[in-house]
Amino acid sequence: MDANPVVRLANAAFGYDGRRVVSGVDLEVGPGAFFGIVGPNGAGKTTLFRGILGLVEPLEGRVERLTEAIGYVPQRETLDPIFPLRVDEVVFMGAYGRLSGWRGLPRAERDLARACLERVAMADHARASFSSLSGGQRQRVLIARALMARPKLLLLDEPTSGVDRAAEARILEVLEDLNRRDGIAVLLVSHQLALVRKAVAEILWVADGRVVRGSAVEMLRPENLDALFSSSFEA
Amino acid sequence: MDPSWADRIDLFRWAILAALVAGMVCPLIGTFLLVRRTSFYGITLPQFAAAGVVFGFVVLPWWSSTFGGVDAMQALDTPHAAMNYKLAWAALFTFGSLIALVLTGRRAGSEIARVAAAFAIANAATYLFGRMSPVGKSMVDELLAGEILGVGRHEFETLSVLYAIVFATILFFHRDFLVVSYDRESAVVLGKPVLAFEIVLNVLTGITVAVGTMFLGPTLLFGMLILPPLAARRWAASTLSFHVIAVALGIAAVVGGIFASFEFDLPLGAAIVGVAALELVPGPFVRTRA
Repeated sequence: MDANPVVRLANAAFGYDGRRVVSGVDLEVGPGAFFGIVGPNGAGKTTLFRGILGLVEPLEGRVERLTEAIGYVPQRETLDPIFPLRVDEVVFMGAYGRLSGWRGLPRAERDLARACLERVAMADHARASFSSLSGGQRQRVLIARALMARPKLLLLDEPTSGVDRAAEARILEVLEDLNRRDGIAVLLVSHQLALVRKAVAEILWVADGRVVRGSAVEMLRPENLDALFSSSFEA
Repeated sequence: MDPSWADRIDLFRWAILAALVAGMVCPLIGTFLLVRRTSFYGITLPQFAAAGVVFGFVVLPWWSSTFGGVDAMQALDTPHAAMNYKLAWAALFTFGSLIALVLTGRRAGSEIARVAAAFAIANAATYLFGRMSPVGKSMVDELLAGEILGVGRHEFETLSVLYAIVFATILFFHRDFLVVSYDRESAVVLGKPVLAFEIVLNVLTGITVAVGTMFLGPTLLFGMLILPPLAARRWAASTLSFHVIAVALGIAAVVGGIFASFEFDLPLGAAIVGVAALELVPGPFVRTRA
């Protein structure tokens, strides 16, 4: 149990239209945690992830988000390139939760956006068109946008899907740096088991409507994976 | 002897000013229709508004005998009561169809096919209602042809006030509309009342369409909602420049359309749309900037 968790789930169940997809989830995510949500396709990884984010209300149990400082990085494929957005405009959006009205963007927010872009090594591209960037670059810009919330918890949906090895390594480097240096709790959903094994400390294995928590190195050993993919939750 | 340019501008000043206001506000709404991939709304909703105006004429005899206040002659002369009556029907049909499109849009299936089907229905309804009320049909035929020179001071004032509200609301909430349109889930995480902003954006679209169709006709509305934003998208390097270029192209189309209309004796609304269409010509030769 963490002394100061940022998110706490107690016997939570999530689903759609009253139908449960995952249930009985007990979880605490503390500062500095690094979780990966993994499991077979259609098992409910995304449903659990959306439940933690607050995009899906729990069907039963409790979800407590104990901080408002949550950064969210969506799958970049969900963002429509028809929007004519510059990189800095995308990053500024991360501050829109605390800004409204027609006044210009305050200097402090511009400075913060610059710092966030520097943190992900994208400051030189601030005036570039967002849609013209490579997949890996766009992903780092979206991480910078999430950092605008000054997050204590960073949630990422398939952050390395569809990017090459070099881009994947850079993204992981950024996430590890944020986690170790700033103590930001990181929770990512991924179907890339090799990546998760390499990057995260703990995993939440989602299958058959249940969630099992364990060490990434231990659970993702080849011999254990066979068991997880067959009938791991029968016991 | 042909009247001078100054005489024509003076004679039709309210129509010209109304077109300029529409040239400024409609492209701004159109930018959101384009990036939300709902540009077809810009064709379908004005058609429903036109059907609503004709339907108002169909039920006018019954309305006059039941509630009084407006008769057919008043409706043709467009005094205040008659204008409000027609505007109410245009708004009712616009918002009714908008609500139906938004609600059915949440279900599975092709959004484009649904909106196209709605346009076909609205178009047919306009002609069917027109058959039942030749007065209403002749008025809508004029509006469809783009004959907007009859716009008077009162129509201009009504349109200006409502469009000023639309313009100011967009300016005030532009960040919220952007994030809600671009990344709905992130907007929820940021704590934005997403549904409320989507409703406000739809209401602004409905007001723009209902008022614009009523005074300027569906032809001008089709053109101003769709063509300037489409042309601007090619040139825009940022969201701000997208909005500014779309509005500038809208105003330029109105000015060019006025010139073409007076010079070549063309219907003003259609001439404006024609010029707006010309703004698309350089598009294929321009590299999209963002």
